[in-house]
Parts: sequence; structure tokens; C-alpha cells
Amino acid sequence: MSGEVGAFKVKVLKKARYVNQDLCTGCGSCAEKCPSVVVDAYNEGLGQRKAIYKYFPQGIPSVFTIDAPNCRQLGQGKKCGVCAKVCQAKAIDYEQKDQEVELEAGAIVLATGYEVFDPSVIPEYGYDRIANVVTAMEFERLLSASGPTTGHLDRPSDIAMERELEELEKEHKKVNRQVKQFEEKCGKTSQEASDMLKACAVLEGIDLQAWVDTAAKAEELEKRMADLKQKVASFKTAKKIAFIQCVGSRDFRFNRFCSSYCCMHSVKEAMIANEHDSEVRSSIFCMDLRAVGRNFEEYKVRGGKQSNIEYIRGRVAEITEDDAHNPVVWYESTTTRQVVHDVFDMVVLATACIPSEGAPRLAQLTGAELDQNGFFKTHPFSPLNTTRPGIFVCGCAQGPMDIPESVAQASSAAARAAETVSVRKAAG
Amino acid sequence: MSNDVLVIGGGIAGIQAALDLAEMGIQVHMVERLPSIGGKMAQLDKTFPTNDCAI
Repeated sequence: MSGEVGAFKVKVLKKARYVNQDLCTGCGSCAEKCPSVVVDAYNEGLGQRKAIYKYFPQGIPSVFTIDAPNCRQLGQGKKCGVCAKVCQAKAIDYEQKDQEVELEAGAIVLATGYEVFDPSVIPEYGYDRIANVVTAMEFERLLSASGPTTGHLDRPSDIAMERELEELEKEHKKVNRQVKQFEEKCGKTSQEASDMLKACAVLEGIDLQAWVDTAAKAEELEKRMADLKQKVASFKTAKKIAFIQCVGSRDFRFNRFCSSYCCMHSVKEAMIANEHDSEVRSSIFCMDLRAVGRNFEEYKVRGGKQSNIEYIRGRVAEITEDDAHNPVVWYESTTTRQVVHDVFDMVVLATACIPSEGAPRLAQLTGAELDQNGFFKTHPFSPLNTTRPGIFVCGCAQGPMDIPESVAQASSAAARAAETVSVRKAAG
Repeated sequence: MSNDVLVIGGGIAGIQAALDLAEMGIQVHMVERLPSIGGKMAQLDKTFPTNDCAI
């Protein structure tokens, strides 16, 4: 980036989609047939997508993109070309390259947002050990009707077991086919083969040992499948949920600042969970519940009265796990002054809003400074001006804030940017 | 000299800023890292305090 207010020159790397944006109709037959299955970042890793994908179904622009490193043809050097074959619009273009685009602008608005704090660095909360401890964003995807569980509160440990059963069934089918082949070829049952092997008899052209081993493996798989099936049949959706506030924020080990929106976010998630299933009860563990926006206090009270939400004052010390994959929450009750524990079906961590990963690099490029927390620095009386004239900031790039505040700031930043370019236009 | 505005980021803040500028008749260039705009808000199911759908 070069230049100054009124005449910034910016070089942008336009990444290749490997799909012609003007031709793609967004029909999705490419993704239907694509053989590469990838973990879906949009669904916080809880779902799967293909290597050719739309970031989310309603995504704009409504065109598909190839995720090159995961594509068999582009990233793995294999022969594939399935998407190009099925695309009726002839939009697939494996030859597309990243482009450098030069833009000129009189003003710049930074709206680069934030990152969610990774709770796996807090060992006592066991996020990476306990399957049913999830982040607020993961819980959001589980609640969503368009999410990986179509809005049912299936527990991650149960989802994992269902996947394991699917894998076992696939393997069993394969092994069973091999056993059938042996049986058909010789016209004997596997039991007879086993007896022959014991009697040291020989069957010409057949590896009796391999046959017996395969049959034994099929039997073992069947046993494991029956076991798992029984477990899967007993699964219930989560009914008792704990929300833990200030995970990575207001914590001197990580970030001292308040992440601002998480209190209301947890109240909302608890309300929606109860809306989906009226048997759901939630406990929100917080130092204090901050409901400072317009109508927020009323919302919080309504949640407590109508949605089975209990607000518990206290900082959770530790989360452990019992034999049934239930998280156990240990905390000090500040009302009874006792250390107590409670078993939940699922725990949701209200993870903090932290500066986006690219913020330091962007600060370096644009010359707009960062504050002590790593967000873009502004003055309290001119909250949209960065330290560089002509560059404005809005939303969570400036600090943690909720959607209404982001939108209000964005409109203000737009007005400031418009003022900058039109004043110069009139003067010039 | 340029009368265009560059908006970096296509989340809810970037989208709102870009739409406002466009409505004022200003040419906007938006840069987004991901294949779709929408940002974190597109991952949300509902929003407080009205429980309206996020998308």
C-alpha cells in the first residue's frame, strides 16, 4: 500500500476460485459428485463438505470455489476432473491463477473483525480432552437448523460414536464380501473351512488360514457393531447445559478486557435451546452478567423466567468427565461458600473475542497503529479514526462489540469515508 | 486522486459500511479473505435481543 488520504494505492491479491464466476450458476452438481471430503470450517469442524464448495448455502457471491490443497486434481496431482465433467455451465477452470489487482481509493474502511479465543490453552476446562465441552460458536452450529445436526442438540461424543458405527458397518460389509467369495468359490461354509484347518486338511488353490481369519474378523466386527448399536439406540439429545462465561477474557493470564457480547450470546443460546426442546435447562456461570444494551436487561430476565435459565454467580474452577461422557463442573458457590459440583450433558464455553490474526500485518501495511490489546487504536472522542488520516475502523476490528454496535459504527465509518472523498472532490 | 472507497473485510460491519457508501453514490471496492461475504454473523443461527434469524 502506498499514497495518502485522497489517493491511496493498494495492491490486492485476488485468489483464484478455479471456477468462472460469470458462468457458474451455483447449481451444486459439482459438489454432489466431488470425491474429496473435507472438514467444514463454516460448521466449526462438526460437519463435512467437498473440495469444491460454497462457504455456506446462502453465501454471496452464489458461486462455487475449489479448495485447491484438498482437490485431487489441483492439490494432490491426481487425475480427477469430475467437477469439470458434470458442470453444465462449463464454469470449471483449473488453469485460473491468483491475480494481483491494483486499486485506487480516497479513503479506506477497516472492517476486519475478530478471531475467537482458542480455549484449549486452558487445561482446567478440558476443551481438547472432553468431547462434550464445546465453544459458543460450535454450539451455535449445533443449534442451527441448517447445521450439521439440523438443529438437534446431539452431543459431540454421541456424534463421534455414530460415525464410528458407520465406519464399522462399512468395514464389515467389505470383510463379509470376502468371506462370501471364499464360500461361493468352494461351496463350503466358513465353519467347514475352520474344521478342515483344524484337521490339517488342504483345499487346493485356497488359503484356508486367510479364509478362517477373515471369517473371525467379520464375527468380531459384528460383535462390536451390536455393542455400539445398543449404545447409539440409548442416546438422547442434551437436556442439561452449562454455560461458562469469560473464557479467555477478564482473565489476567490471557486477555484483561471484557469481550462484551458473550453474556448476551449465552443467554440467547440458552433461550434458543429451550425453544427447540422445552425440557432443556441451562445454568449460566458468570462473575456478573452484563446486559447493558437496549432491551438487554429485559431479555435476560425473560430468559430466566420463561426459558429455564439459572444464573449462578461464580467462576468455574475445573471441568472433569464421568464414565458416560458427561462433563462435571466444579465451582465455588458464592452464596453457600461451598465447593460444589454438578453433572451436565454438555458445557458451552463463552470464548472471548480477540484481535484477528492478520491485524498486526494489516497495521504494518496501512500504518494504522494497534492498541495494547491488539485492536486498531482510536481516540475515545473520535472512535472511528485510526492513527492514519483517511483510514477508518469499525466493528470488532476496533474492539469487542455486538452486532447493533458494529452496524452503528459501520454506518458512521461510511459517513466519515464519504465525507473524506467528497470534500476532496469539491476542493479538487 | 480517487473518490472511491476501499472496504477491507466483508462481515456485518464491512457490508453495512459498503452499502451505505454505495447508496451515497460512491464506488466501493470490498476485499474479503473467504469465498463468501457474511463473516462471523453468517455462522450465527439467531441474534439477540430479538431472536431474529442471522442470515
